[in-house]
Amino acid sequence: MQIGTQLDWIVLVIYMIAMLLFGTYFAKYNKDTNDFFFGGRRFTWWIIAMSIVATGISSHSFVKYSAMGFKYGFSSSMSYINDWFFVPFFLFGWLPIIIYSRVRSIPEYFERRFSPSARFLVTILQLLYLVGYVGIGFLTMGKAIMPLMPEYLTFFGIQFHITLMGLIWITAFVTGVYITFGGQTAVIFTDLVQGLMLMTAGFLVFFLGIAYVGGWDSFWSLLPTSWKLPLAHFNTPAEFNSVGTFWEDGIAGSVGFLFMNMGLIMRFMATKNVHEGRKAATINILFMLPLSAIVVGGGGWVAKAISVKFPSLIPAGTAPDAIFVVIANILTGPGVFGFIIAAIAAALMSTVATLLNAAAAIWVNDVDRPVRIWLKIIKKENPVDEKRAMVVARGATVAFTLLGILAVYAFSSYPTVYQAHAFFHATLTPPLMIAIFFGVFWKKFTPAGLITTVIGGISLMLLGNRYPLELIAPIAQGTPYDPVHPFTYMAALYNLIVCSSVAILASLLQHQLKRTANKIRKNVHHQKIMYSIIAFIIAIVVFDIATALFQLSIITFMPTFILTVVMSGFVALVTTFYVKYDPEAQTLGLTIWSIHQAKEWFKGRKLNEREGENAIVSWKLIETDNEDIINFSKHDMHKMAAEPGDLVYISDGRKYLGGLKSCHTVYGEPHNEKAIVHIRKLHIGKGLFVEGRMLEAEKEM
Amino acid sequence: MIDFYNTWLPYIYLYVGGGIFFLAGMILIRRTKAIDMRLKRDRFWWKALIFGYFYFAVIHAFLIIAALYL
Repeated sequence: MQIGTQLDWIVLVIYMIAMLLFGTYFAKYNKDTNDFFFGGRRFTWWIIAMSIVATGISSHSFVKYSAMGFKYGFSSSMSYINDWFFVPFFLFGWLPIIIYSRVRSIPEYFERRFSPSARFLVTILQLLYLVGYVGIGFLTMGKAIMPLMPEYLTFFGIQFHITLMGLIWITAFVTGVYITFGGQTAVIFTDLVQGLMLMTAGFLVFFLGIAYVGGWDSFWSLLPTSWKLPLAHFNTPAEFNSVGTFWEDGIAGSVGFLFMNMGLIMRFMATKNVHEGRKAATINILFMLPLSAIVVGGGGWVAKAISVKFPSLIPAGTAPDAIFVVIANILTGPGVFGFIIAAIAAALMSTVATLLNAAAAIWVNDVDRPVRIWLKIIKKENPVDEKRAMVVARGATVAFTLLGILAVYAFSSYPTVYQAHAFFHATLTPPLMIAIFFGVFWKKFTPAGLITTVIGGISLMLLGNRYPLELIAPIAQGTPYDPVHPFTYMAALYNLIVCSSVAILASLLQHQLKRTANKIRKNVHHQKIMYSIIAFIIAIVVFDIATALFQLSIITFMPTFILTVVMSGFVALVTTFYVKYDPEAQTLGLTIWSIHQAKEWFKGRKLNEREGENAIVSWKLIETDNEDIINFSKHDMHKMAAEPGDLVYISDGRKYLGGLKSCHTVYGEPHNEKAIVHIRKLHIGKGLFVEGRMLEAEKEM
Repeated sequence: MIDFYNTWLPYIYLYVGGGIFFLAGMILIRRTKAIDMRLKRDRFWWKALIFGYFYFAVIHAFLIIAALYL
């Protein structure tokens, strides 16, 4: 089947160039790494909510949900409408903590809450998570464009055979170059445009499809009842069922997306305050995600109806992952189809841009700087060398783009992108999810619990992969066993159980662990004892990895399992022995139990929680000093219920800018010029305020 | 007609299973005073959270009924 025309390719190329230029325009807002990674923490909720749409809808979403929509119907929307359960934890736990604690990355939180070793392990897991996600994005993009391509291309008389991986390398190159030069502000604004474009493209295909089969009534009557149900069958088939999707996506996926996706967290950190972050997350989950479910699955739904009414239109052997492109080609004309494919490209670019920006942030904050401090090249108290950090950030972006391509090889063996993504979530999410969750919500969670979760938990997860019938089948709730990809979804439940079990046990047994560690310390051979234990841990971890990777059967299941459990206990003991931990100091302001304290630290003084109104003022430049304070009239201070020393956010009065021209600062002593604010040169530099334009001031806390 | 096992059971599993996590979250944010019910803004958020749970439950229930009977 011939798909696409030259006009479609022209539209696609024009779109790419337009996005490149649009993104580059916002580069002027990147003055330092705070701007490059967090967009200056200045944006209003609607900009962030809309830009999250483009981040949440990746190109893999179009491909995988249309494939599932075509095969199973409306239940493909499940993943987009099951995220609410963890929203209370996020809005009033993780979000305020990560903002008020002023950390620049998730691993940094782990160092403050636990120890530098915890930061090291979480950094590795975070980077694996982000690189894996990038890999999934590239794989999908390749699969989406592949049907458009001829079998061979000839350049200068040389014939090139077009392969999926070849296409992915080219796509990654183009995307990588674009992303390397954009910062968070560019990502947010290009995502805003791309989010609108994605919505338009998805709805266009959906409504054109409905019109194609003769309207809504015809569309509805063409579909079998089982296909119209919004939730999949309870536990069959193996590749798509409700119970599996609940654990893999509703639990592991939702928490993974909201709590440990550094790209998304950075987007929330780019909002002007916690309240705006809450609004952005809520609007996104309540309204944008259900709409997104139609946008990404609609292509598959109308394809099914069309295949019932016109059986010859969609070839019998069409791969499910190609269904969106095939149906878009049928429903749209030349040029419009190019727009649809550009939307898929937009989805990839926005998601990958976010992830690569996050990976670069982690590299700069959690690898580059700590390593340089460790090597004594710089001192801990030295300020960040912004110029160098920007160069490192861009270099890291290129490196992670390449690693993302390598990750594609790990996922390309799966029959559908949906299963590859599910495997990815089920495997990598649970240890980090438990680490973040217990870290934030359980004061008694210790470094021993955390490190055991990561090392012991992952080893037990590997055993689950090697012995699925012994370990996962008993909790699989009747989902069928697929010998090639055993319990892709229910593995998430098993992984959550083993990770949380070792976390809880290691934390609750802290007293006994301390006693044992003290006994070892008193032994004259304590170093030899500890080294022997560490050697045993390394041997078992290596053995578990080899057992899972090469499906080895050197020893039977039960001894392997017991050895791994014992090894996990030793991990807890070694951590207790070596890691210094002060449970009082290291939980203050860093768990949900002391958020008020975190807020006070953020402000640097006592909170003022009196509720006031915003003030609209004109500005006057004070050139006698350049302090980071601004002065309002007594009347305006009273209106805002503000006092000198409180935090204030001022922005350009034009709401549609969404906070692009704005900055955070502090109230100074009041004056008597009503409706006028005195600002300094540094505020103009940060906020890029325009002369003659009114400003809106909002008391923060 | 499709049986209960494949219509309402997934729904019950989702909203009871998910509801346990949701309820745990709601209790935790109240107990820890992460949500301060003395503030008007936080009272709004409390209501919004409860609304969200039922909003999705009603959407799914409506879609199941539509699939079975419309």
